[in-house]
Amino acid sequence: MLILNGQLPMNWAVAGVALGTIAIILLWTTGTRLGLSTTYESLCALWSELPYFRRSELGGKGRWRLWFAAGLLAGGILAALAGGGWRPTWELGPFDEAIGWGPAGKAVWMFGGGVLIGLGTRIADGCTSGHGLFGLANLEWASLRSVLAFMASGIVTTWLVYGVLFR
Amino acid sequence: MSARLGLWYCVLGTAFGWVLSRSGAADYGFIQRMFLFQSFQLYGILGSGALTLGLGLVVLKRVGRTLSGAPIAIRPKAVNTGNWVGGALFGIGWSITGMCPGPIIVNLGEGKVYAVFALLGVLAGTWAVGWLRPWLAGWLGLGEWGSQPTTGSVTVPRGSTRRAATRGG
Repeated sequence: MLILNGQLPMNWAVAGVALGTIAIILLWTTGTRLGLSTTYESLCALWSELPYFRRSELGGKGRWRLWFAAGLLAGGILAALAGGGWRPTWELGPFDEAIGWGPAGKAVWMFGGGVLIGLGTRIADGCTSGHGLFGLANLEWASLRSVLAFMASGIVTTWLVYGVLFR
Repeated sequence: MSARLGLWYCVLGTAFGWVLSRSGAADYGFIQRMFLFQSFQLYGILGSGALTLGLGLVVLKRVGRTLSGAPIAIRPKAVNTGNWVGGALFGIGWSITGMCPGPIIVNLGEGKVYAVFALLGVLAGTWAVGWLRPWLAGWLGLGEWGSQPTTGSVTVPRGSTRRAATRGG
């Protein structure tokens, strides 16, 4: 069951085919390679004066990421509204059962994890979408290496959290 | 960018976000059960998604043009030590938050308050790499930004990816 309104998830094959198809439509209609972690560079580029965030590929056509991100936000809102209603929540499934921290603890936990995501995706030049979906589909070595690295470290981290620290 | 094109990106993003939300790909519990090998759901999504996209790429490479007639140009990602180091750091963060970069925004839309803090964290981490980039580039062989090919064929021979990586480093 999903944390969101306790719904059952859609079939994995339907979801996978849908995500792959959307990525192909994105490439065919706009020439754009799917990749979502660079969205956070586009957000930094809104205020940061660092040369890295002033490079040309974040401007012009690079702004597609902000439009796509607005869509992701809308997709989440619509999925909540269509499946039981939208309401703010701190619910975190297995985290609540095994660890049970309140909002302050969750905020620190999420911020810390987020920092690692920001560092990691910039250094690896991609995430689950750009490397995991697009890069693997395009048979890129960089993506195979990154996917192996993030799957392995994710497996170890979850095992440490749920199998050792908070068992 | 025209508002019409922007809205098209927004429509595609909405569809993508909807599927991420309803499939478990943006769900903390499903991410943990994937890493614990208790659920096949996310492996199935990633596998069938990459397969569908791969087949689509084969077809689109043959066509060779986008809808508007422009040649299809895909920038291959550079091969370097950063793939391993960055991938490993990202995996820890993915496990901790139960969200990868796209799903953080989807969770925000769903009303998950904690996603706000994950978002702030990713912005801090992203900004830090922008700040430390000159030092990191030398250490990890990341290459100059903007030095990678931005045009060319969709077919990427292995050698050219490596050359792009070493040239930049």
